[in-house]
Amino acid sequence: MEVKIIAFGKIAEITGKEFSVSASDTKALKEQLAVQFPQLADMKFAVAVNKKVTEENTVLSTNDTVALMPPYSGG
Amino acid sequence: MEKQNERYSRHFSLSGFGKAGQEKLLKAKVLVIGAGGLGCPVLQYLAAAGVGTIGIADHDQISLSNLQRQTLYTTGEIGQLKSVTASRKLRALNPEITIAAYTEEVTASNVWDLISGYDLVVDATDNFATRYLISDACCLLQKPLVFGAVSQYEGQVAVFGLNDQGQYISYRDLFPEPPRPGEVQDCNVAGVLGVLPGMIGMMQANEVIKYITGIGNGLTGRLLTFNMLTYETMMVELSKGKDSEKMMPANREELEKTDYQWLCGLSHPDIRALNPEDFLIKIKKGEIVAIDVREKGELPAAGFPHLHIPLSRLEESLTGIPEAEIAFFCQGGTRSLKAAEIFIRNRKTAYPPSHLEGGILALTQQKNEKRD
Repeated sequence: MEVKIIAFGKIAEITGKEFSVSASDTKALKEQLAVQFPQLADMKFAVAVNKKVTEENTVLSTNDTVALMPPYSGG
Repeated sequence: MEKQNERYSRHFSLSGFGKAGQEKLLKAKVLVIGAGGLGCPVLQYLAAAGVGTIGIADHDQISLSNLQRQTLYTTGEIGQLKSVTASRKLRALNPEITIAAYTEEVTASNVWDLISGYDLVVDATDNFATRYLISDACCLLQKPLVFGAVSQYEGQVAVFGLNDQGQYISYRDLFPEPPRPGEVQDCNVAGVLGVLPGMIGMMQANEVIKYITGIGNGLTGRLLTFNMLTYETMMVELSKGKDSEKMMPANREELEKTDYQWLCGLSHPDIRALNPEDFLIKIKKGEIVAIDVREKGELPAAGFPHLHIPLSRLEESLTGIPEAEIAFFCQGGTRSLKAAEIFIRNRKTAYPPSHLEGGILALTQQKNEKRD
């Protein structure tokens, strides 16, 4: 499934802000991104599919939007 | 509220707010943890708006590098306690409300009692250890928590609390576990444009006022991400995660036993913290090799022999570090601790590393005091 990725913060510095990838679910997507961008492999970030944060593996459909959001600590 | 208070006249005349809204604010008790970049605007607007009781918790002192964004403070106040100076300023702004300053560091052992006395908590801190501590405590106490955080040109705002299903949505439903040390750069390292915490802090103040008075659509159970360069925002919905409750303490007793510094990789039993005096003596005697882990060009320069390896390059430079007792140092003591952590994890050495507590700032401050 071709999905649109929107990356934030430090993740965007590594992957670019917006891009498309093909993945069947969020688990496969994370694995694929870790291969493509090894720096992401150990990073903790939240995943939101169509603006809903999901911790569990979620099936992706064509044209879904997936946001990758790292935690920020600054204040 | 018996007499018509002209101070709040613009609230009284505001449709949908009025005297009823003002009365709710005056009855509210809000605890703001952190009186820095986010805390300053939160405090200023809540005090101006007439939140009846405001607690300010911060154990830090005002430093010169704070003034670029922490608008409650002035150059002449450098060295003063933020919570004390902030409460003085807010009292001058609005003498009709109650303001309490807490100068002690918020820790696992005092957070419960501190938060219990308030209706709502604002997380305006600058580190993950305190953020997880506050979130866990608020979750266990079921207190609403208005969260804000910034990094470079982006910010996050959320309200944690009970959702429509009666489940408490917490920071752990967004990020179940803290990141590794060094994975996320703080403002000391990555920098921040001064107006960003101002904007995010004002959004937090807005959420506090909305929550208390019940106007508009609050951010409870939602996260707003804001980019100040493009004005792009994204709102995402949070739900109760499967892992979040497993990760956090189950009750007060467990919370108080949790070492949040350790949880966030910020302390290691083998890393020794050196005070400025011992640090300088050890350098003089040639017992340690000092390594500056600040980024290139950061001031003040160190006036003693040292190596320079910025934290961002430490991992790739580990093999070049001599086999000796190493003491890392940085500006304030946070990055040096992270550096020691990285060093201890990645390099086999007979000498446990140490770091300069309070950083070069503590060192220069001590020198100045001696001169005085």
